[in-house]
Amino acid sequence: MKNKTDIHPLDCCYVGVRSLEEIVTRETRVCIMNILGNESRKVSPVSHAYSGGNIVAGVQYGRSGLLKSPVGDIPVYSRLADVMEKHSFDTGVIYLPPEAVYNGVTELCHYNKELKKIIIITEKVSVKDQRLIRAICQANRIDLFGANCLGVADSWHHVRVGGALGGDSPEETLVKGSVAIHSNSGNFSTTMAEYLKTRGFGTTTIISSGKDVIIQFALTEFLFAAQNDPRTKAVALYVEPGGYYEKQALDLIASGALSFNKPIVVCVTGRWKSNLSRACGHAGALAGSGDDAMTKEGWFDSYFGCEVFDPDHPQKVSARGVRVASIQHIPLAMEAVFAKNNMSADFEPSGSLGLKPWFVNNFHLHLPVHLKQEKQTAPEPYRGQIEQVNRQLGAMPMRRNMRNASSASRIDPETRVAELHGRPIVELIDFSYEENIIFALCGRHPEVSQLSLLNRCLNHLSLPPDFALEVSERARANGATPNQALAGALAVLGDNPAMKTARNHAVLLLDTLGAAAVRDLYDMRRAEALTETLAGKLTFCAEARGPFAQALLEEMAASPRRSVLFQIAAAICARGVVEEEALFLITLLAIHFIYPALALKQMARQTAEDVVAYLMVIAQTVWLTAARPGENTLFRQLRKEEAGMTRSFTEVAYQALFNLAPTPEQLREFQALLALTLTNGPGTISAKGAKESVSARNHISTAFMGYLSNTGLSHGGSGYEAIQFLLEAFKENPVNDPADVSDAGGIQKLAKEQAAAYKRYKDEAKLRGVMNYRRIPCINHPVFKGKRVNIDPREEYIRRHLRAAGVENVFWDFYHELVKALYEAGASNNVYCVNIDAVIAVISLKLMWRPWREGRMKEQDMQDIGFLVFLLGRTVGVAAEIADHRSRGQDMDCRTPVSETRFIV
Amino acid sequence: MQITGMKFGAELLRLADFPVPEILSSDATLDELNRLIHKRGRCVVKPVFYGGVGKKGKAGLVKIVSGALEAVEAKKKLYFASHIFHERVIHANGVTFEEFIPSSYEIYFNLSVSTLTRKVNFTLTHHGGVDIEELPPDKVVESSFDAITGLKAYHIIDALTNLKAPREIISPLARFLPKLWELYNDYGFIMLEINPIRMENRNGRLIPVACDFKAQFDQDNPHWKRLNLPDEVFQTDLSPFEEEINQLRTYQGQSDVVIINPQGTVTSFMFGGGANSASTEILGDKATISTDFGGNPPYEKMYKIARIVFHHWLAQSHVLLIIGGKANNTDIFVTFKGMFDALRDHIAQSGRPDIYVVVGRGGPNLIKGMAYARDILDRLELPYTFFGYDTSIVDVVQYAVEMDNWLATKKSAV
Repeated sequence: MKNKTDIHPLDCCYVGVRSLEEIVTRETRVCIMNILGNESRKVSPVSHAYSGGNIVAGVQYGRSGLLKSPVGDIPVYSRLADVMEKHSFDTGVIYLPPEAVYNGVTELCHYNKELKKIIIITEKVSVKDQRLIRAICQANRIDLFGANCLGVADSWHHVRVGGALGGDSPEETLVKGSVAIHSNSGNFSTTMAEYLKTRGFGTTTIISSGKDVIIQFALTEFLFAAQNDPRTKAVALYVEPGGYYEKQALDLIASGALSFNKPIVVCVTGRWKSNLSRACGHAGALAGSGDDAMTKEGWFDSYFGCEVFDPDHPQKVSARGVRVASIQHIPLAMEAVFAKNNMSADFEPSGSLGLKPWFVNNFHLHLPVHLKQEKQTAPEPYRGQIEQVNRQLGAMPMRRNMRNASSASRIDPETRVAELHGRPIVELIDFSYEENIIFALCGRHPEVSQLSLLNRCLNHLSLPPDFALEVSERARANGATPNQALAGALAVLGDNPAMKTARNHAVLLLDTLGAAAVRDLYDMRRAEALTETLAGKLTFCAEARGPFAQALLEEMAASPRRSVLFQIAAAICARGVVEEEALFLITLLAIHFIYPALALKQMARQTAEDVVAYLMVIAQTVWLTAARPGENTLFRQLRKEEAGMTRSFTEVAYQALFNLAPTPEQLREFQALLALTLTNGPGTISAKGAKESVSARNHISTAFMGYLSNTGLSHGGSGYEAIQFLLEAFKENPVNDPADVSDAGGIQKLAKEQAAAYKRYKDEAKLRGVMNYRRIPCINHPVFKGKRVNIDPREEYIRRHLRAAGVENVFWDFYHELVKALYEAGASNNVYCVNIDAVIAVISLKLMWRPWREGRMKEQDMQDIGFLVFLLGRTVGVAAEIADHRSRGQDMDCRTPVSETRFIV
Repeated sequence: MQITGMKFGAELLRLADFPVPEILSSDATLDELNRLIHKRGRCVVKPVFYGGVGKKGKAGLVKIVSGALEAVEAKKKLYFASHIFHERVIHANGVTFEEFIPSSYEIYFNLSVSTLTRKVNFTLTHHGGVDIEELPPDKVVESSFDAITGLKAYHIIDALTNLKAPREIISPLARFLPKLWELYNDYGFIMLEINPIRMENRNGRLIPVACDFKAQFDQDNPHWKRLNLPDEVFQTDLSPFEEEINQLRTYQGQSDVVIINPQGTVTSFMFGGGANSASTEILGDKATISTDFGGNPPYEKMYKIARIVFHHWLAQSHVLLIIGGKANNTDIFVTFKGMFDALRDHIAQSGRPDIYVVVGRGGPNLIKGMAYARDILDRLELPYTFFGYDTSIVDVVQYAVEMDNWLATKKSAV
């Protein structure tokens, strides 16, 4: 029986490598288990490229294919047996989840008799698995590294195997030199290498040991291999509490059992962990009795024969080395230890570790001198990157799976009210259609004083090309539903040259404004310089200025609030006529409207580049959905008016639908309708259709088609059921003016009659055993139910709001009387709420009432208009979803995983 | 994750068919106590502690009584007894009444992982019932065995023979001690200790009976869940804050937290075990918490963690510190986005705190991450200084400490 220090690990355990230079070389051939896992698929291509293409293959259970890398594709197999048929390798790297690591090791040992090393990157591997893994690898004469480590790198061989030592630019950190590193912390492995460079030291081999309870390639093995490495002149160690690895190695040196005579600089941290009863940070950094940080410091101090390194007296080190209190002292201590041993550094020192802030903003805080830090220039490549982000306009959304997810819309879980860009749709009823169009794209409403400019642009863009109108009309003639006809017309819009030209103009404007770091559009100081830059990049033509461009320029010049963009437009156009000038000015104005959101990084740059394409699709939808636009007075007028028209786009949309000029009250109700239909969250099939199309990487117009093909008679066209119900209810009691609610008694009486009739119908149906009897549309709600009197807060808000503005609606009142009457008649258990769908139905019916009563509108038209109103509103909301998914989503992210699909017999 | 005492220890030992004394809980009646004491003339009263508590006997927290009323008296004293372990005051929550096992021998037995052999070691002596560290080396055997074949009877026989143990105890211990290996190996133990095992004479044959129990489980080995231990067993291990964070523990990305000082004024997000160890040391009592969020946590996890951290600690903090070295594989943009989105949302809900933000970080997507953080802080009008990887992280933490000192003085002056 041997006591603790009698055990000689190089006798009692297998260590395959004799020198650090053998651990990873240019000849090392690697196979990676779980190569397509989240971490490995990013790290492995970088390692492969840095190491000269040393990964022969990877395994991803159940999948095969290729993993791209800068130096060629890495083949991926679904099982290790397939790898063995075509490749040979000597090193296995494991990225498997913790519960699969042990199996991965046994698989490697079973199939590959030539295996020399296994590096386990995975963290949270159980201690039990770790000891079983060790037993198997010892029996199979395989060197183990990890787990919970970042692998091994060799700066001389330009190789890294396993994890991400050196990050995504390993050559930055892994500089050839004479210091070997063994670190309990993966991060400190490379941080120490970085720090050493500041005193002119490069590295030989860096081993991230991991700091689980069991360290597989521990200090004894490392020092043994470092001693035999002719390149290594000294070693740097980072040590945490827990375990006797260091004592074992130092005792072996002291007893002569381990031959080691190179200097060591060591940093031991974690005194504070002595009172912990469970790990925080590294799993193995939990001291038992006698292996806490302070004790470990003592082991090293005894070995060195000197106290902790004092940066003010750097000469007080021993030839054996010194312990430092924090890793920032490692470079200076290493320099002192090298001097003591008459050795010199590897190269000229570069940089320092002093405080060098890259970003500072103290706002109004007056810091004392010792805390006040001036911003300093970062080293390359970071300096260039900082300049780039400073120039950048718009947010930097993170790409991710956006299936069933949206950053544009959501349903508030408490109120159940749909929100667009964080605002409940019920609040958006106060904004015009044109204001909400800009809001959908950037999350901010435009300034009211500049709406006429916006309207002029929208009205101009709204005129579809003849071929699109023709498609729409042909589709309608062939019995297409409104959504189908619109989708067909959008298909032929494609990604047309006008959209491309506008996109190019947008890119030019955004690059120029970004480069000048313009944040405030009303700061005129850079107007001249910006004009010069832009004018130099634009192409001027010999054509005469068109009336539309002229009108825009005049209106911009007359604007009470001129932005720097207006001034630039005027200055540029004063020099000549820009090619595609109208489109250039529209793009400039569109950027103007969304710029505050861009400057505050509240919207993505990609959406800004595409802004005119969105505006084109939305605006043209108005006429592509209109019935027989050729017969529409306003349409004909718009076509003739070459300078464009500043009429409110809400009004234009109304006239496109009804071919009638609205009263202010009708316009207000119509505006509310459009706002209410903007969105119902990302879960609606209309939103999903658009998102799925985006995930297949389609053009913007195709993504709108995706949404349109997911609307239909049961989604968008269903409001007609309620209209039909109301028409039926009012058949015997026709009202002349739906805004006249003076006959409250009459409405009440009608509601009671309807309720009694419904009760009779329901009872009879139940008696016959018919349980799927007809329900009254637009009452009751799965959330707003169960009280004696129930209220849908969305409906209540809008009703109160419109009433306050003097807008009354007899059908709406009828609905409220009806739910009371139903309860009184015993047809319902409580007073149901009148839900949000009823709002859409009663407003639509009120707007159509007079034309219908006068015979100018048929019931089919009423059904269509209900659907079209939905389409006009939803198209704008869907634009927000498309923009969101295009800037945040990933290709194919809407795909349903096979595991979620079902086969139904 | 530790268990001390026989309340749960006995249940676990029964799984391995290892003999245990009869144990009554705090609510035992006088009749039941009389019956238990009548068996051996005495019984042992011990306080019940959750988690690891060190040595109870030495602290005078074990009473041997010979009457039911005396047992009730001991219960009164021990039921809410307090005990200091690792500078923490631990409170008892009940007592156990344990059958007294008369024995001429007290055996110490321990199974734990050795970092020297990187195997499981067993430690055995028949001079047990005392602190094992106090025994001379020739009276203790510490030996390892094959991880795959496990602890066998011959290991015990060899060890006891080398210790020159009385022959009469060798056979029963060789029969029963290997059973403990099955318990240890099958249920996620990292350490199992029984001290003492007393040798009960049953019909002329000595039978080892476990009279105290101590165990530690491996949090990363889910096999401990097979034991279906009640939640309260580990409850003292975690504060509500730690408990909340622990819900997010997955293998992708660390989420280790520990409270350092509930009155601290520097709240830190530390990335990497090294940064955790080094930074916590420098912050000392200024730190509210010590954390390790390295290992490339995904956005959702980072966001949720940050929301919890801000909820618990931001209001009292002067400095929010984000510290790590030059990350190898942690995406700085993803983690910064998670933290600063959470900060923005927390402030939207709870109002703007009076804090200074200090960042020291390096790694992939560093500038993208820092620029994202900067934009949010600019919008929130919170002051900040960000250092890159070319500044020593130790200096950054020191800077945060000095900032905290200054802000504390400034606030107290106000």
